[in-house]
Amino acid sequence: MSLMISQPKLQIPALTVATAAFDPPVVRPGEQSFLRVTFNALEDAIEWPTNLVGPPELELRPGAHGQMLKMTGTNFEPHSAFNTRARASSLGSFIVPEFVVRVDGKPVAVPSARLEVVSTPPASVPAVPQLALDLPVTNLFVGQAIRAQVVLPGLAGGIVQGLAYPQLSGQGFLVDVAVARQRVEAVHRGGTNVLSFIYETTLTPLTTGRLTVVAQGFMAGNRFSGPVVIAGQATIPGGPPQYTLLESEPVELNVRPLPREGELPGFTGAIGSFAVGPPQLSTNELRVGEPVRLTVTITNRGDGPLARIAPPPPPKTRDWQVFAAADFAPAQPVSPPPPPASPVSPPPQPAGFQGVLTFNYTLVALTEATTATPPIPFSCYDPRAGAYADLTIPPVSVTVSPGATPGDLGSLLQAGSVEAEPEKELVLSSLAASRGRPAASLVPPQQRAWFPLVQLAPGVAFLGIWAWDRRRRYLEAHPDVVLRRRARRALRRERRILQRAAQAADAPRFAAAAVSAMRVACAPHYPAEPRALVGGDVLPLLPAAERSGRAGEVVRRFFAVTDSALFGPTAANAAELLPLQPELEQVLEQLEARL
Amino acid sequence: MTHSLSPHHSSNLALCSSRVGLSFGRRAMVLGFASLSVCLLSLLLSLVTLSAASPHTLFQDGANAYRAADYARAAEAFRQSAAWQPAAGALQNLGNAEWQCRRTGAAILAWEQSLWLHPFNPAARQNLRFARKVAQLEAPELAWYEVISTWLPVDWWAWIAGASFWLAVGVATLPGILRRRKATWHQAVAAFCLMVFLLSVPAYIGVQTRSRLGFVLQHDTPLRLTPTLEAQAVTRLAAGEPARRIRTRGHYVLIRTNRTLGWVEEAQLGLICPEPN
Repeated sequence: MSLMISQPKLQIPALTVATAAFDPPVVRPGEQSFLRVTFNALEDAIEWPTNLVGPPELELRPGAHGQMLKMTGTNFEPHSAFNTRARASSLGSFIVPEFVVRVDGKPVAVPSARLEVVSTPPASVPAVPQLALDLPVTNLFVGQAIRAQVVLPGLAGGIVQGLAYPQLSGQGFLVDVAVARQRVEAVHRGGTNVLSFIYETTLTPLTTGRLTVVAQGFMAGNRFSGPVVIAGQATIPGGPPQYTLLESEPVELNVRPLPREGELPGFTGAIGSFAVGPPQLSTNELRVGEPVRLTVTITNRGDGPLARIAPPPPPKTRDWQVFAAADFAPAQPVSPPPPPASPVSPPPQPAGFQGVLTFNYTLVALTEATTATPPIPFSCYDPRAGAYADLTIPPVSVTVSPGATPGDLGSLLQAGSVEAEPEKELVLSSLAASRGRPAASLVPPQQRAWFPLVQLAPGVAFLGIWAWDRRRRYLEAHPDVVLRRRARRALRRERRILQRAAQAADAPRFAAAAVSAMRVACAPHYPAEPRALVGGDVLPLLPAAERSGRAGEVVRRFFAVTDSALFGPTAANAAELLPLQPELEQVLEQLEARL
Repeated sequence: MTHSLSPHHSSNLALCSSRVGLSFGRRAMVLGFASLSVCLLSLLLSLVTLSAASPHTLFQDGANAYRAADYARAAEAFRQSAAWQPAAGALQNLGNAEWQCRRTGAAILAWEQSLWLHPFNPAARQNLRFARKVAQLEAPELAWYEVISTWLPVDWWAWIAGASFWLAVGVATLPGILRRRKATWHQAVAAFCLMVFLLSVPAYIGVQTRSRLGFVLQHDTPLRLTPTLEAQAVTRLAAGEPARRIRTRGHYVLIRTNRTLGWVEEAQLGLICPEPN
C-alpha cells in the first residue's frame, strides 16, 4: 500500500492541447513523412477519426498510435500520439487543415500542418529516426516462439536514445514481456555498424494465417526503463526527451498449422530443437511409499528462444504414482552470450544453446517389484527437420525395498485402476474431405410453399377414392340409373347411325337403326332386352295424345316395315320411311326425355 | 487412281485464291461463319466457366486455399459453395475457415448449420464444443422437443410425420373402401404409423422453433432496448452468442438470448435457417 501511495499521481490537464506537425516537414516526391499529432490526454478518451482528410494529392494512411505517461515535476501526465503516414508524388505544399477531435466528449482543435514536397530538400532537415523490426524468420508454425528485435538506430557520433513503452502491435500473437531485454550495441546496417538501442523480446504466433506485426515506441532520450547493457562507446544525449512516437514498417508473418501426421505421444506444444539430458533421481535406492525427486533437464539446441514449454504430463502406471505438473518449477533461461568487446565488430551469432529448463517430478514407488522409473513420453516439433522428435524421458534404474505401506496405498491403487480416461483435448477438426449430401435449402420442408400441397395430395386422393366408393354403392343400390345411362349412350349411337343412313339414303339401314333406337330407349322402363321389344311396347311410353297421333303412326310404320322385312314373305318398301326422319327425331327426343 | 496435292501445289492454290480475292458474297458468308464461330465459342466458354464454378470446384478451391493458410479466400470459396447448394461438409469447412479468420460468430453459425443438415457430423459437433470452450460461449438452450428434433436431419421429420399420418389413414380406411376384409396386420400397421406420427409431432414442432435460432455475428453487438439507432444498449453480446428471433421491425430484430430480450440490427444476427423466400 505504501508503495502505491508513494507513486506519483496521474494528473490529467484540464485543458487538452493538441499539436500536429509533419516529420520531416520537407521531403522529396514519393518519400514518406509522418503527420504526428499529440495530445496531453489519455488515449482512450480521444475519439480519433478513422481516416484523415487532406489534399487529394497527398496520400494519408493511418499509422501507429500509443500512450505513455511522462513525468512533469512530481506527477505523471498522459501523452498520447497518433501517427499518420503521408506520401505525395508531386511537388508542392500540402496542408492538412485544422480538424476537431472529441476528447472526453469535448471538442479539441487539432492545428493544421504543412508538408513541403521539393525536389531537393535542404540539408538542414534532419532525417526521421525510424524503428526497425528484425524477425529471424517469417514463415513459422503456430506456437513457434521467435526472437523479435526492435532496433532504434543511433545517430552519428555514437549518440543513442532510449525507447520507452516499446511494443509490438498486431493481432494473433503473444509477446512475452517477462523475457524482454534491452541493450545498446553495434548493428550492421547499410554496410556500416551503427550503435543502436535494441529491445528484444519473444513473439509467439497463436493463430494461423497471415499476421502483420508493427513495432512502435516512444523515443525517450536518456530515460531508460529497466537495466540496459551498453556495449561500446555510446553517447547518451542530455536534456528533456521529446517522446516522439516511432514505428517500424509492418512485417508480415505466414503462420502455418502444425502437421498432424507423425505426432508423437507427449507433445505439449514444444517447437524447436531440444535435447533431454539424463534424468537425475535424488536416490536410486528407495522404499515403497517413499517419495523421490526426478529432475529432467531440457536444453534448447535451436536458434529460437526458449519459450514457455509445458512439461509432459506425468504418466499413469500401476507401479508408480507420479505427481502432476503443478509441482514443477522451470528454471530461468540461460543468459545470452556476452556482448562484443568492440563496437565495430559484428554482433555475435546465437550460441549452440539458448537456455536450459528443468522439470521436477515427484515419484512414489507403489511396489517393490519395480526396477526402474516409468518412461515419460515427451516430444517436440522440429521445424528444421519438418518432423516430430522423440524426447521421451528415459527410465532410471532403481532398487525398491519393502517399506511401511502407506495407509492410503490401497485407495491410491484403486484410484489408479478406476480413474477415468482423461478428457480428450478439444481441438479444431481438420477439413471435411467431401461436401457431403447436398440439400436443396436450409429451410425445413414444412416452411416451404409446396409442402402443404404435397401433404394435401394424399388427402385429395383419399377423398377421391371415398367419393368413388360412395358413387359405386349408390349405383349398386339403384341399378336403373346404370340402365338408363347405358340406354342414353346406346340411343345416341343409334341416332348417329340412322342419321348417316338417312344422308346415304340407305332406307333399310335407316329403318333398322330407327327401330333399334326406339327399342334401346324403351328397354330400361320394363326392363327388358331391347331386341325383345315390339312397337306395342314403345307406344305406351309416348304421351297419351301422341299414341294415336302422328307419333304413334310413325312408330307403327317403322316397326311394320322392319317386321315385314324380317318376317314377311315380301319385304316392304323402306324408302318411304326416309321422309319421316323429322317425325322420328321428335319421337326419339320424347323417348330420350323419359330416360 | 488417286490424286494428291503436294504442299507446293497447296501453297500455289492458296496464293491464287488470295490473289483473286474473295467475292463480296463469299466474304459476307465468311464473316457470318466467323461471327457464328465467335458466338459458339463464347457460349462454349461460358458453359465451361459455368461448369468450372460448380459447388464442387468451389469446395476444392476452398480446401486448397485453406491448406495454403489463405483462410479469407477459403472462407469465400466455401461460402459460395454452400450458398450455391448447402451441404454439411461445405458448411463445416466454412466454419473452420471463418474460425481461422477469427470470425467466431460466423464460424459457430456455419457449424450449427452443418449440424442442422447432418446431425451425425461429429467434426462439426467437436468444433462447436471447441469454439465455445475457447470463446467462453454458451450453447443455445433447447426445449425437450427441440432436443428430439436434433436426432435426425431436419428434413426427415416433416416427411416422417406426413408419411406416417397418411399411411395410418390409408391402412385404416382403404380396406373398407376396397371391400377387403380388415386383417390384423392392417390394424397393427395403422397403430404403428399412428404411433410414429404422434412421436414425430414434437420433433416437427422442435424443428419449427429451432428454425428461429440465430447467432450473433459481430463482436460487442449492442442489444438495444428499442429498435432505433439511438436506443439505449441493454448489454453487449459476444460474437457467437445464441439468440432466438421473435419478430422483425424494419432493420431490427427482436431477439431473446439466454438471459435477456432486446433488439439488434438484422445484419448482426445470422439465422440458422434463413427466411424462406
